[in-house]
Amino acid sequence: MATSVTGGTAKAVFQAPSWLRASSTSIGGSTAIVLLFLPPALLLFTLFVALPMGEAAWYSFYNWNGYGAPTDFVGWRNFELLFANRAFRIALTNNLLIIVVSLAIQLPLALGMAILLADRVRGTATFRLIFFLPYILAEIAAGLIWRFVYDGEYGLLAKLLELFGADPIHILAEPDIAIYAIMVVVIWKYFGFHMMLYIAGLQQIDRSLYEAAHIDGATGWQIFRRITVPLLGSTIRLSVFFAILGSIQLFDLIMPLTKGGPSDSTQTMVTYLYTYGVTRTRIGFGSAVGVVLFLICVVFAFGYKRVLMRHD
Amino acid sequence: MTSTAARYDTPVTIAPVLRYAILFVVAGGVLIPLLTTALGGFKSLGDLRVNPFGVPSQWEWMNYWEILASGRYWQLMGNSLVIAVLTVILTVATSAMAAFVFVHVRFFGATFLLNYLLLGLMFPAATAILPLFIKIRDLGLLDTYWGVVLPQVAFGLAMSILLFRNSFRQMPKDLFEAAVIDGCGYFRFFWHVILPLSRPILATVSVIVFVHSWNNYLLPLVVLNRDTLYPWPLGIMVYQGEFSTDWNLILAFITLTILPAIIMFFAAQKHIVAGLMAGSVKG
Amino acid sequence: MSYKKLMLAAACAIAASCSGMTAALADVTVRMLHVEQNPQVTGFWNDIARRYEASHPGVKVDVQYLENEAYKKKLTTLLQSSDRPNIIYSWAGGVLRDQVKAGVIEDLTPVMDAPWKARFVPAAVQAYTVNDKIYGVPMHTAQVGFFYNKDLFAKAGVDASSIKTWDDLLGAVKKLQAAGITPLITGGADKWPVHFYWSHLAIRIGGKDAFEAALRGEGKGFADTTFVKAGEVFKQLVDLKPFQAGFLGATYPQSAGQFGDGKGAMMLMLNGLLNTMKANSADKVGIPDDKLGWFPFPTVAGGKGDPSDTLGGLNGWLVTKGSPKEAADFLKFFSEAENQRQAAERGFYIPVVIGTQDAIKNPILRQIAENVSKSKYHQLYYDQMLGPSVGAVVNDISADLAAGRMKPTEAAEAVQQAWELAQ
Repeated sequence: MATSVTGGTAKAVFQAPSWLRASSTSIGGSTAIVLLFLPPALLLFTLFVALPMGEAAWYSFYNWNGYGAPTDFVGWRNFELLFANRAFRIALTNNLLIIVVSLAIQLPLALGMAILLADRVRGTATFRLIFFLPYILAEIAAGLIWRFVYDGEYGLLAKLLELFGADPIHILAEPDIAIYAIMVVVIWKYFGFHMMLYIAGLQQIDRSLYEAAHIDGATGWQIFRRITVPLLGSTIRLSVFFAILGSIQLFDLIMPLTKGGPSDSTQTMVTYLYTYGVTRTRIGFGSAVGVVLFLICVVFAFGYKRVLMRHD
Repeated sequence: MTSTAARYDTPVTIAPVLRYAILFVVAGGVLIPLLTTALGGFKSLGDLRVNPFGVPSQWEWMNYWEILASGRYWQLMGNSLVIAVLTVILTVATSAMAAFVFVHVRFFGATFLLNYLLLGLMFPAATAILPLFIKIRDLGLLDTYWGVVLPQVAFGLAMSILLFRNSFRQMPKDLFEAAVIDGCGYFRFFWHVILPLSRPILATVSVIVFVHSWNNYLLPLVVLNRDTLYPWPLGIMVYQGEFSTDWNLILAFITLTILPAIIMFFAAQKHIVAGLMAGSVKG
Repeated sequence: MSYKKLMLAAACAIAASCSGMTAALADVTVRMLHVEQNPQVTGFWNDIARRYEASHPGVKVDVQYLENEAYKKKLTTLLQSSDRPNIIYSWAGGVLRDQVKAGVIEDLTPVMDAPWKARFVPAAVQAYTVNDKIYGVPMHTAQVGFFYNKDLFAKAGVDASSIKTWDDLLGAVKKLQAAGITPLITGGADKWPVHFYWSHLAIRIGGKDAFEAALRGEGKGFADTTFVKAGEVFKQLVDLKPFQAGFLGATYPQSAGQFGDGKGAMMLMLNGLLNTMKANSADKVGIPDDKLGWFPFPTVAGGKGDPSDTLGGLNGWLVTKGSPKEAADFLKFFSEAENQRQAAERGFYIPVVIGTQDAIKNPILRQIAENVSKSKYHQLYYDQMLGPSVGAVVNDISADLAAGRMKPTEAAEAVQQAWELAQ
């Protein structure tokens, strides 16, 4: 209840008996400042984040198209429909696949590039910038650029195949492979970000360790296994965290590429929410998808931080 | 060992030839889509079709010129700019004030309120997009800049508060004591002491919030219906739908829309990289 | 002289103050939102708007375009905005019923009652009547059928006039493939172009009775044999892989362009294709009129539907709630016979205003106009007729069937499930 401030000695000197009388301390107006500085943030957050999330839970039990008020209570039916839905199962599988590919291909690529670029040799600054460049592009623009690359008539891929005498394929229109084409774009777009994380991590590592290892005759692989990876541990855990959370939320990149098609083969949870909830204005059903997505995010984030990042 | 090329104090020992070979291949993979996009905008459709990779056989400046001369491009850029600037100003103001209170004033429920606000870190706007749409509609904010700006601010608060809080806490403690001794009030302390010292973090938060807003797609997609209000990600999707097969025009349009970001990036790379990395790591 | 001057000055003053007043009172903007891509058609509409403005000072008519898919996706949210357009494009059917139920559409009965109403073919007004009230101004009718490229047909030795049954169509597809020609073009990414196959097959197989029985929930509803069989018969075609490469990723405008560029021999579409093809072909012309043919959807052996039954649309305009009265007034002007006669003459569409269809010159439009007027059962597009949620599922399953990723029984059951949920 004390109004004392967080500064070391100031705390002891300026103790006030109650927050209501806070303004009587010599640094004037602590009540006023709380009442003036906090409400804008609290109000906005409550109105546009907390309330909608709560309402999502409420709406998810209704069948409602947004006109009027929700009155058609349907219990758990929206959730039952959701988990019985083929497209939603595809979406979940795709999210998992994207996570796997991110971890198995994107992060190793990022780490490899980081190791090559960790030290200032000629051109490293330029290469770092180039690799980071896709990350700053908007997902929509990146997606459209790759839509062109993959276009069956004008695209780069079609032309390459043609040069090798193969028939050009409309890769984004092939239900069995479109999702892999999207994964390539995901890697292209985000590996530079993870590379930067790793570079920052690598710079923390004491260089004499490497020198010592060399003098002891360690091989490159041993150095990587025994020094780089363990000492990069917290950075890798962080990078994995972002890769997974980003994969779960993937949406903007897919819209310009396939919009979740063909035949729902490239849906993710968020494109699914958009296609079957937003564009069809099924507020209740879409809210149910949102609730599931929310639970997945929260459980993952809490769990991961508790279990894997507790020491970081 | 002194004069040989190999260095042993690095995470990897690799022949320079191999190192650069790998780097150039990867750089090629990163850049080719971007370069062919920019070049493709200079081609005629027929040229693009037979020659998607190379230099245009004839430079069609008109593709770019017509876009630049039309009001459409500037309107999209202007809308994006207005939305982003409003979002930055409001986010920075509200979150810096809130963070200041959490750092320098101890009051009942502070921890609870801070944790409440930090809940926003846990989930993306997409999870609540439908109720959010209803809320924005009920407030009469559909088809207004504010309908996009205010939710963007709300969803950006958690991270910004965290960044400001970390930064404010790292400021020397004596500052506060000196202020107290001077009999300087909270407002003056915030305005005359804290803010001037916070330029780096202000820049960081502004970069993050600006980039988020500039690239945002889902929220404006749901909130805005009038194309005169569209920010560029929406506008370019409409453009692509309209000119679906005229890839040369679409490529020119893409190039022009990403150009500001790329110029900004190269002009202020250090700040932008540092800002974006700080945002994600500390957030 | 001085008297005259004085009067002039006074007149000027009055005029000035009055024009100021009228500007304040009657400065009305009517916003009209449509999905027409062809610049000639929109130019024509804009021209009507300009003429209306000229005769109605203080009124501005703003004709705005939104891409078809974006429009359909946005419409529900659009109508909930206080800033909604005044006049919106409509395909009638269940979507209209939902909009009316939501209370966002203006009841036009008082203004449309004779003589305005009497301008239209009665069936057209009927399509816009919900609970005995008129909610829309019909504009044109359309029929779904096969457009074909005469050159490509000749090259493969296919005679369009001999395609009467589904088996004839399968035969033509094989013949075209043997000649190295892509038989069919469709826009699979937008899904609704594909649903014409499934729904038209259902019309041929079960006729009006089967559809109405399903609506009433008799038997297994939309999971009944007619609709399962529609999927099975469609599968016979899909198994031949008749569509262009990458059709699942092609949008309707893209596919219309591909057809116009001669990339495939046939396209199942409504007659609006004539406009969309022109707008999206590489040369902005597409297939010239004399090289473009048309035949109606073939019959299915043992089908109960009448060969003269048609699948198509009755498109029109709705006025949204709270719009100024000028919105309806403009539509009244818009639907004057002289204006709609021009649309017929220039081959834009088949107007539903009586006494305009004889102006149609385009042979395909003439034929379609005749078919629709003779048809005893003109079924509105399923995706519009069944309302937004069920219609979307019909489109989903049609695209899935075309992709070969769904069984006919699953498809029919999915539609029935959506229908039950929507009730």
